[in-house]
Amino acid sequence: MDILRREVAKRVFAYELSRSTHETSEGGERAPKYVLTPTGEKCNRIFMVGVLLEKEEVSPDSNFWRIRVSDPTGVVSGFVGRYQPEALEALLEIEPPEIVSIVAKLNMFQGETRRFLSIRPEAINISDRKNRDFWVIETAKRTLERIKKLEEDADDAKLALEIYNPDVGEYLEMVKRAVEAVREEAEAFRKEEGEVIKEDKEKEAEKIESKVEEIEEVGKIKAEPKTDAEELTLESFEVDDLDEFEFEEEEWDLSDILDEE
Amino acid sequence: MSDGMGDEKISILTERVLSRFKGREIDPKEVSKRLKLLIYEFKVPEEEAVRTVTNYLMKEFDITREEVAESPIRTISEITRAGEWVSVKAKVMQLWDAESPNLSQVGLAGDPTGIIKFVIWAKSRKPEVKEGKSYLFKNVVTDSFRGRMQINVNRNSDIIELDEDISLPPREIELIGALVAIQQNSGFIQRCSLCNRVLKKGVCAVHGKVEGYDDLRIKGVIDDGANYYEVILNQENIKALTGIGIEEAREIASEKLDREFVLAELKKRLLGYYFKIYGSKGSRYFLVRDIEFLSADIVSEANTILSEIDGLVKTAREETAEEGI
Ligand SMILES: [Zn+2]
Repeated sequence: MDILRREVAKRVFAYELSRSTHETSEGGERAPKYVLTPTGEKCNRIFMVGVLLEKEEVSPDSNFWRIRVSDPTGVVSGFVGRYQPEALEALLEIEPPEIVSIVAKLNMFQGETRRFLSIRPEAINISDRKNRDFWVIETAKRTLERIKKLEEDADDAKLALEIYNPDVGEYLEMVKRAVEAVREEAEAFRKEEGEVIKEDKEKEAEKIESKVEEIEEVGKIKAEPKTDAEELTLESFEVDDLDEFEFEEEEWDLSDILDEE
Repeated sequence: MSDGMGDEKISILTERVLSRFKGREIDPKEVSKRLKLLIYEFKVPEEEAVRTVTNYLMKEFDITREEVAESPIRTISEITRAGEWVSVKAKVMQLWDAESPNLSQVGLAGDPTGIIKFVIWAKSRKPEVKEGKSYLFKNVVTDSFRGRMQINVNRNSDIIELDEDISLPPREIELIGALVAIQQNSGFIQRCSLCNRVLKKGVCAVHGKVEGYDDLRIKGVIDDGANYYEVILNQENIKALTGIGIEEAREIASEKLDREFVLAELKKRLLGYYFKIYGSKGSRYFLVRDIEFLSADIVSEANTILSEIDGLVKTAREETAEEGI
């Protein structure tokens, strides 16, 4: 059984990630490393849905790729190589620009003037606009939660204040920009969709009308015989009664899973 | 006793004997013949007759006693197929009115893994169970009615009251998160036809090389940015989300000559997407009852967040102003 806890994939906008420079670790050399972001998120792993802008093989036939991914607030870059076979395989099939979801670990590099962050995807998959919009909403919520915590005396928040002394207004502005961007798009999309639905409904109504006329002409409208005497068996009652209790989990794996891994 | 009744009894007992020898080719007629002989000719009590025939078969097929133990104890979640003899430790949650004279009691019983309907047949002549008490339902037969599993208590079953209090599954909750990982042993798998364990290269950890049957499942991780939940999606969940069921999986596998291709296809359709899940938290796994792609009202969510930001900006300004004074 897996005793090690899995690292949660944190939600942080690219703007904030690209301003993260501080790395922490709890315990010894082999302990996992965490990147502390300016609003006080401590992340070992992130999840994002954004646009894959570019992929570029670092040197010919190296199978080591540099990627750039954007969200409405900014861009992060990262690397995918053969040590992330699943991500590599997926990346090779994707042609940028494309909306993608990415689960990634983080690396800190020492540049010439400062430290900078790069992502190391474990999984990449083509995604869609709806999924991206929700990621922005969720990431906005998580970021606001952190910003509010900066006022409190939480450890990560304290450290973030000490190291970055973030301008709260700047990060609120970042969240606002991102949320406004998806709202605008969602509104536009909703309008489009609404019109399509309206058209469809009109067409459907016309169809039904003509069908009815057709039938009336032939004079053959037959009502379906209705039976009130539907068998109210013991079981049919029970099925309804059960609904409230329905935890009935169809998953039958507990035993076999406990043996696995 | 009429012949009809006798035959019914013999066939129930035969089934019970055979249930302990799953996977062996044993002629039911031979078992029935021996039971009839012992019970009707020699007037041996039923239990003894069953034991004698079982012992005979063990010797005949060179099988150890462990292999043919009493009906195995199963959790409710493990009861997935009809016609199996099992024993279940569960708490009686509700009793319903038994609307047929053939039924003694009907109700719901639960354990930490789930809830199941039980039916106690009048003919079984069992003492009545009470709501809120926990019992060992011994040697009961699983059955399926309209896609739901139930357990039937018959004459060969026992109901033993337990001192321990069996706990019930936790209440159902709703979860929203992204599927951030799909783990090993997911996809178009094969299970052992004797114990349902997942086969690895055609081998069951308990039964060795066995005949397997196809199944679809995903062991995955749902992550909401604050917590993660390990989930298992079954055949029905997967079909509902992706349109890929067992038949489609078989088609994909045979077209590509590779079962693994099914998993690749499932990953493309599911990995990195947000889901809304209904279920309950188990000790390790979040037990999924229903799962759907998340469909959120982005505009109203966005408006809520934007008005919260306005509030925060205002407060920040006021604070700065105060500091200025
Ligand atoms: Zn097995």
